[in-house]
Amino acid sequence: MEETVIVAHKIFKAFGEGETEIQALRNVDLDIKRGDFAAIVGPSGSGKTTLLNILCGLDNVSSGEIKVSGRSLQEMSGSELAQFRREHIGLVFQAYNLIPVLTVLENIEYVMLLQHVPAAERKERVHTFLAELGLEGKENRFPAELSGGQQQRVAIARAMVSKPDIILADEPTANLDSETGGQLLEMMRKFNEELKMTFVFSTHDPQIMERAKRLITLTDGRIVSDELK
Amino acid sequence: MLLKLAWRNLWRNRTRTWLSTLVIAIGLVAMIFMDTMMVGMNTNMVKNATDSLMGHAQMHALGFRDEQDVKLTINDLDQALLQLEKHPDLKARSLRIVTQSMLTSSGGGEPVLSLGVDPEEEQLLSKFDEAIIEGEYLDSVSGQKLILGWKLAEKLELGLGDRLVLTAADAESGEMVQELFRLSGIFKTGEEKMDASMVLVARKTLQSMLKLEGRIHQIALRYSKLTQDGTPVNPLKKPDDSSKNELLLWTELMPSLYMISQMTDLSMAIMGTILFLIIALGITNTLLMGLYERMFEFGVIKSIGTTPWQAARIMFFEAVCLGFVSIIVGLILALFVTALFANYGIDYIGIEFSGVTFQEKIYPSYKWSRLVLYPFMSLGFTLLASLYPAFKLWKMLPVEALRKRKF
Repeated sequence: MEETVIVAHKIFKAFGEGETEIQALRNVDLDIKRGDFAAIVGPSGSGKTTLLNILCGLDNVSSGEIKVSGRSLQEMSGSELAQFRREHIGLVFQAYNLIPVLTVLENIEYVMLLQHVPAAERKERVHTFLAELGLEGKENRFPAELSGGQQQRVAIARAMVSKPDIILADEPTANLDSETGGQLLEMMRKFNEELKMTFVFSTHDPQIMERAKRLITLTDGRIVSDELK
Repeated sequence: MLLKLAWRNLWRNRTRTWLSTLVIAIGLVAMIFMDTMMVGMNTNMVKNATDSLMGHAQMHALGFRDEQDVKLTINDLDQALLQLEKHPDLKARSLRIVTQSMLTSSGGGEPVLSLGVDPEEEQLLSKFDEAIIEGEYLDSVSGQKLILGWKLAEKLELGLGDRLVLTAADAESGEMVQELFRLSGIFKTGEEKMDASMVLVARKTLQSMLKLEGRIHQIALRYSKLTQDGTPVNPLKKPDDSSKNELLLWTELMPSLYMISQMTDLSMAIMGTILFLIIALGITNTLLMGLYERMFEFGVIKSIGTTPWQAARIMFFEAVCLGFVSIIVGLILALFVTALFANYGIDYIGIEFSGVTFQEKIYPSYKWSRLVLYPFMSLGFTLLASLYPAFKLWKMLPVEALRKRKF
């Protein structure tokens, strides 16, 4: 039986109060299995990013329960959540969001340093990912010296290098041209298949929808369809 | 890694960082320079006071200082001298007769403080010999020569060679006795009191006049090894109560001067606290600006697993880095400015302060402990300044910070 990495049960999320209240998520039930390569799709304002933020504990639910790797996120403090994300969740953002004052090597190493991974192991893992992502020789460059595609590859390496249970990516290809976006997706798909790494995307990108094994459609904060391809 | 991150963050906006550095550094320079000035001024005042007459310490019979009774001479003088000479750093001593008296000339009379001294001994204690502006210094422990201050000479319209009569009560009967002297020299010490109401005569002559042969009112002492405060490095051994003598340091003989140096420390501490608090507010503002500019970035840092405490540490480290750079710049500037003024001095000559007239230029002088204290103070206040930004960063929810993305 496939292991469930994320369980979201009867999730409600509202912003604002009274007349200005907006229901971003309504009664969302979702299970993400290990090895999933799932895309959450839907129009702008449908709640995709909110759902992703809630799945990684960046945002709180108004009601409902979220369990990631068997642990309830609602019971954790801010510090525990940060440590939990560090160990179990890799995040990829739309605009790469590397730390501009750190080199490629240091950006990728950052989470492992927080995890106190020994130096030798850190170096080995970083170089493996750099080779896999075609970034060899760029270790000592700063993000500003890289193209958008290269920066996003570094961001993916940063998310994956700590061996998390799941990678959550918010519109990872939105700032890339279709060719670069396609290459990145192929790479992630490869990691998904070879390393059984779990990916969940929020996206508008047809390329992701095409390559996703599972398509979860959100409309007005509700899951209106959840299909395996 | 957090320290590296903080260091590099600091230099992202070089102009702002250098401006903040300069603000802290200038504060540090101001504090160090003011302090060296104060130390120099205090040293100068203490030196003036101890060099002119007082010495670093004095011995008297108990009660003499309050009563000025001519009969109150030092008890068991030989034993007292023996004890004083045991001090390893004793450089000079002067045995004095001190009495209130009346000086009369053909031009009138003035109450004066008469000092009977051995001129050779006294030369090592005070600077009356160097202060002679007319005539000559005393040349013998006995004889009828008298020297006095220029103001007193002016008041009594005296000239060299004039005859003067000193009248005082003798120690045996308390009867008034008189002695005739001849004015041999006029001195100008710059000290109002000494120039207007003090006369020096040969000790043996005054002892004989007051019927005090072999007795002494005061032993003024000078030591070779002194602390920066002007007190002997090796502590003095105070006489037993049974000796009925007292040995007092200049800090006890002239408590007002000592108080000034103590109050200087206090006022510097208050001034430093106010100055560094103002600077700290400026630094808080700078750090907050940096925080708001990088809000989204901090959101990313926190969302990828940096705990609130680790994020707050980045802000602390930025403050520490800023503090260290500022301290280095501040210390270099402070050493340069102080060295410049220490070389040329600041001319306060002739200005009287708290009963002491500055005889020499003021040369700023370091108290090395302050060169450690002030940088630590500035670092402490810089850290204090980072508390609020660090707290903001600690409390900041990553999801809210991520919404602040700049497009």
